[in-house]
Amino acid sequence: MTNTGMFFRMLFSAVFRRRSRAMMAVVASLVGAATLFCLAMICIAVPQQMNEEMRAYGANLIVTPTSSVDSSSGDKAGIDEAMVKHTTEMVAAKGSEKHATYRYENVRVNAAPYVMAGVDAKQVKNLNHHWVVDGSWPSDGKVLIGRDIADAIGLKVGSRITIGYRASDNSSSSSSSTDSSSSADSSDGTNGTTDSQQSSSGQAMQDGRVSSDIMDTSGTEFRVAGIVDTGGSEDSIIYATNADVNKLTGVTRGVDVIEYSAGASDLNALVTSINDMTSMHVKAQQVTKITASDTRIITMLQTLFWIVSLVVLVLTLVGVGTTISSIVSQRRNEIGLRKALGASSSAIGVEFYVESAMYGLIGGLIGTAVGYGLAQWLCVAVFERSIGFNWWLGVASVLLAALVAVVASIPPVHRATRIDPAVVLREE
Amino acid sequence: MDMLLELDHISKIYGDLHAVDDLSLTVPAGQWLAIVGSSGSGKTTLMNMIGCMDTPSKGSVKLEGRKLEDLNAGQLADVRKNMIGLVFQKFYLVPHLTAVENVMVAQYYHSVVDEKQALEALDRVGLKDRAHHLPSQLSGGEQQRVCIARALINDPKLILADEPTGNLDEKNEKIVLDLFRQLHEQGTTIIVVTHDALVASCAEREIMLNHGVLVGEKWNDDAAREAYEAAGGRPASTGAEVEGAQSGETAIGFADPTKAAKTGA
Repeated sequence: MTNTGMFFRMLFSAVFRRRSRAMMAVVASLVGAATLFCLAMICIAVPQQMNEEMRAYGANLIVTPTSSVDSSSGDKAGIDEAMVKHTTEMVAAKGSEKHATYRYENVRVNAAPYVMAGVDAKQVKNLNHHWVVDGSWPSDGKVLIGRDIADAIGLKVGSRITIGYRASDNSSSSSSSTDSSSSADSSDGTNGTTDSQQSSSGQAMQDGRVSSDIMDTSGTEFRVAGIVDTGGSEDSIIYATNADVNKLTGVTRGVDVIEYSAGASDLNALVTSINDMTSMHVKAQQVTKITASDTRIITMLQTLFWIVSLVVLVLTLVGVGTTISSIVSQRRNEIGLRKALGASSSAIGVEFYVESAMYGLIGGLIGTAVGYGLAQWLCVAVFERSIGFNWWLGVASVLLAALVAVVASIPPVHRATRIDPAVVLREE
Repeated sequence: MDMLLELDHISKIYGDLHAVDDLSLTVPAGQWLAIVGSSGSGKTTLMNMIGCMDTPSKGSVKLEGRKLEDLNAGQLADVRKNMIGLVFQKFYLVPHLTAVENVMVAQYYHSVVDEKQALEALDRVGLKDRAHHLPSQLSGGEQQRVCIARALINDPKLILADEPTGNLDEKNEKIVLDLFRQLHEQGTTIIVVTHDALVASCAEREIMLNHGVLVGEKWNDDAAREAYEAAGGRPASTGAEVEGAQSGETAIGFADPTKAAKTGA
């Protein structure tokens, strides 16, 4: 057997043959490692989870056409399907994304003008989890009515509604004046796109209805599939499927707005990259209301977690230090004997530091596993989803536990190396 | 005759207390010396100074002609591990190491670990079959024999034993004294600190301390005495001016009950 072999034989004997003492040190490290790893996992998981939760409250990025009027025909052109796909690919390249497209038209109900949006119900539902829909989402021949409109007209789920389309209501002269304002408004929040489209007729609105009425009640009959209540401007719009809007207007064209819930880490860079592509003829803008509040809440939570982590780290140091100190004081005679046998102070120091590191490693390994279990349980309980094990964080947690154990053992081991064998071994 | 150990007017003083008071003593290689005295007489303090675990307040200690007061802590540790084997009354075995591992600990701090050699040392003290037992699984006598095997493993020039039979029954006391006798016959220098007159009587030479002062010296082996004196060895002495102190060139004898029947000597 080599001296290195003997070193580890002594080490393993100290750890595994003195199980009750070793257990105290391991448990102290375990508790610290478990708490720290759990907090760190949550610190990493929370922004991700919060981001996803916040993104359920609507878009954080909107894309509108730079010019809403076809230069040749003078009619609205919108963003065609190919450009929607291309833009979506650009957003998806920077992270996860959910999107919904909107085609806005001015329509008439009982001769009064309203705004109708052609949508893909599945997309809109997926993007706006906060929408409260009484009834069902729009489908062929069935529309979703905003709460304000339903109240104004006295509609209920299952009611019939006749919607008329007048090409003159959607002429370029009435809409072009508000093109610039549509994108400017959008930076205030998700409602910006709908606000802009509601005002696209160039006239003031009340309860979702344009103030000038023309006594013409002809149109296509739809059934009210549901009533949407968001508390926002969405409550003043009639939502129908794209196919129904195409059929109603007799025109198939591109969309007026694409709303994105983008998971890109740097939304500003994404906006810039889209806007730099002038050939796309689209303009991207952040919905600052969503992104700012998201960032603020995450920062607050992370700060809180890091402060708690720091407190736990200090408590772990104290706990492990006290335990190691107790172990060292119980082994005074052994230390005295080793010195009497010729051990140098540094040799004794190394033995105890490595032993402490071993307690830290064992405690760290078990603690990290326990911490992951706790973090997993918390995430399932709070966020209703599981989190994957972060191996880098796991390795860091185990190494930190070992380091903390060694640092905590410095004062007691330093005292141990100064033990006078003559005093310890004195028999008189 | 070469002197292995030379104490030159050494004192250990704690405040007003003189634990060892101005003692001069020479011990040649191969001698078996017993330091006797009642509790508190300064025996262990003297042993600690000889064993490089304590330093005298005054005077000089020489081991193989090397002055210990000139050495730093690291050098003293080297002297301790290379020249001295320690045997304690309370054994001081590492509780979580087996008997053979306890012997190997001394090898570890001395030079190179050799398990076979450690087992041979245990065999020498009659404990080969108990080599892989923990101290808690051994009797007091067996633990002391492990302690002796540990002291012997590095072939020290000097064995220092502090009350080696203090915690043993008669049977184990005899085994331990027989082991010392064997070591002495092999030429190992042995200094035993004891308050047991029987154990002391096994040594060639005895000195007695009382409150740190040398008060007597006697020889149990005349041939050894003659050889010592022929080689220029002188009786131990003290400079302490206390009644009954052995301060001159003449040894003052003292009486203790012999227990030859018990020791077999």
